[in-house]
Amino acid sequence: MKPTKSTERTRLKVVLPGDTVSLEVTTPGITLGPGLIQAGEFITCTKAGVLVCSGSTYWIETDQKRYIPETGEHVVGRISGKGGEFYRVDVGSAHQAILPFLAFENATKKNRPNFNIGDLIYARVSLANKDMDPELQCFNPTNNKAEGFGKLEGGMVLKCSLRYCQRLLTQETDICKLLGQKLQFELSIGMNGRVWLSSDTIKHISLVYNALKQAETLNNNECKTLVSKLVV
Amino acid sequence: MSIADTYRIITVLLTLISLMSRQELIGPQGLRQDGRRANELRKIKCKPSVLSQADGSAYIEQGNTKCLAAVYGPRETRQKAQVIHNKANINVEISLAPFSMPQERKKRSKSDRRLLEIASAVKQTFEPIIMTSLFARSQIDIYLQILQFDGGTIQICINAATLALIDAGIPMQEYVCACSAGCHENHILLDLNNTEEMADTPELTVALLPKSGKFTLLQMDSRLHVDKLEPVMNLAALGCKEIYETLDETVRENVKDLFQKSSPY
Amino acid sequence: MVKELELSTNERELIISGLKEGIRLDGRGIDDFRSLKITLGPEYGRSEVKLGATKVLAKVSCEVARPYPERPNEGILTLNTELSPMAFTGLEPGRPSEEEVLVSRILEKAIKINRAVDVEGLCIVANELAWSIHVDVHFLDNDGNIIDAACIAAIAALSHFRRPDVTVIGEDVTIVFFIISNSKHPVDQRNPVPLSIHHTPICVTFAFFENGDLWVVDPSLKEEQIRRGDMIMAINNHKEICVLSKAGGIPLEMHTIIQCSKLAANKVDWVRERIQAALVNAAEVEKR
Repeated sequence: MKPTKSTERTRLKVVLPGDTVSLEVTTPGITLGPGLIQAGEFITCTKAGVLVCSGSTYWIETDQKRYIPETGEHVVGRISGKGGEFYRVDVGSAHQAILPFLAFENATKKNRPNFNIGDLIYARVSLANKDMDPELQCFNPTNNKAEGFGKLEGGMVLKCSLRYCQRLLTQETDICKLLGQKLQFELSIGMNGRVWLSSDTIKHISLVYNALKQAETLNNNECKTLVSKLVV
Repeated sequence: MSIADTYRIITVLLTLISLMSRQELIGPQGLRQDGRRANELRKIKCKPSVLSQADGSAYIEQGNTKCLAAVYGPRETRQKAQVIHNKANINVEISLAPFSMPQERKKRSKSDRRLLEIASAVKQTFEPIIMTSLFARSQIDIYLQILQFDGGTIQICINAATLALIDAGIPMQEYVCACSAGCHENHILLDLNNTEEMADTPELTVALLPKSGKFTLLQMDSRLHVDKLEPVMNLAALGCKEIYETLDETVRENVKDLFQKSSPY
Repeated sequence: MVKELELSTNERELIISGLKEGIRLDGRGIDDFRSLKITLGPEYGRSEVKLGATKVLAKVSCEVARPYPERPNEGILTLNTELSPMAFTGLEPGRPSEEEVLVSRILEKAIKINRAVDVEGLCIVANELAWSIHVDVHFLDNDGNIIDAACIAAIAALSHFRRPDVTVIGEDVTIVFFIISNSKHPVDQRNPVPLSIHHTPICVTFAFFENGDLWVVDPSLKEEQIRRGDMIMAINNHKEICVLSKAGGIPLEMHTIIQCSKLAANKVDWVRERIQAALVNAAEVEKR
């Protein structure tokens, strides 16, 4: 999993593709995350963004929109097809993901889930490999419980940048807190740039949808004015 | 009076008529160039099951416009990309025979935008009418060939396709019938021919579901005042109902005929 | 339809049930256009239209050409609309898509077939020389309703356009040509001439949902994906319907259609005011 929960994160500087980062390859325990590669004895960037470090892990935060599956990440996907033993799921990556019929809590050959094409699901990436189609599962592998994975009923999906999903998840932006003070809503944040949201009425859903959509490019102060403007 | 005299009088009359018609779409007696009244349809002749290979086919004449339709399907889709997981895909192709226009012999390519537009309109007209959800992942092809052209392309395409679909036994909610109406100097004309179309008459083509009275298609491309829309639509709808009666009669005759032939007694 | 863009059942149901209560996802009423921004200039005949997130760029250019032999007294008006894969993910390369055919035909019918621009006035010497006006419409970003945006952009660009002035001396073709090519009237010496425009057709698109009782004006991309039929009306400043196109789709009652036509007539006035304001604005900027 990405180091979303780690406490200290330091933004080091803005980097551009091809920049060499002044880090020693030989630093003990150094881990390179997305956007950094080792070229000989140097570490160079491949993306434009902010270099972030947390402990000895380094990566680049970008405003990427296209999802590249990573094992362990949670995603919101749409069932796009049905095979003999699995569903095809569109998670926004280059290839459609596979969700086997057995990848559910208490699933057996006879007891299989029943989804229709077009349904939304919340799942965990169980296998991600650049040479294979990504695979999903709808349970937590540590305790084999569903834990909220599965079909998402009603609601609406917001497509946004991958970075914004992370910000929402880590509560880096206050928008959820601010909205939560005014009305009740439910969120399932996928790391694939899709956020499922629901509330009691359609009016509230569309309000939350628009607030979240507009808050993507706002800082916390601006979020406050936005929420007070939208929610009367 | 000698034959020569009669001949001369007829020639003079014909010249007069042609002179008159050049300027006026409607003559002094309220008759149009081809002798029809304002709210009169052209003569319709139609015949279903004219082709042996197609699953359904029909031939229809509306005045001097003639069209042949063939329907294949539901059958396997040709391209995998066209598969729709919960309903049949409808594919329409229209071609205009090179000899169909009397004035010019011109081969129109299949990618002519006007024909593509009409094909797309015919396709979308039948999409809600054909019960496509019964034939998931399959394809229904409708091929239309205009053999002779004298105006009213869209309407004849739709009428021919309806007959051919009925002949192919493809389940439909209702008939679709199409007819055009236009407006010329406060006269509302029904079922325009090519000369009337060319005279800058606003022409509205309408496709109607005759039983529920709902409109599936409306096409117009010249200027008509907003307030005139309703009366023109009304007349076109009347025309559609009249066409429906003719088509219905033909289909009934044809079905009755088939049953008589196949009956064991 | 591209698989990637298809909407989930949840989204479809939400949009439909919202429409039943008269709520659209972006907060506007069912008969409202999105925010419309028209930018004209800096050159003559360049317009950029933003309709919500839909972005269209139109540019009018001219050249001197030989008129068509069957229409010797008329200039030539060419409309060029190309959908690029930049804004349309689902485009198949090669043959024109259904959408492209529809856009180009609607514009052609509205502007060319209805003679919105006075093409006779573009003739310089009959059978010899005439102005050939090109309207290039580019779609930069597609968030639904590209037809209305394209029509507004084309009309605004044509109204803003100025062509160089021409003087004909004698009947010698070469003289005329010489004057033009040698720029005896460069644009700054003699005022360039606007096109004479007979009427200004503006498109209004309606999208219909469910059984045809639910409808909206100016559908967004999400609404376009779940609509069951659409109807496009182009109405000019004389309240004449120039184009009416309901190419199939869900069958409608007569009264819905009449109601839509009345509403479209009002919407068109609103759009025309915007174009007028943009033209006035552009003229002021030019003066400075």
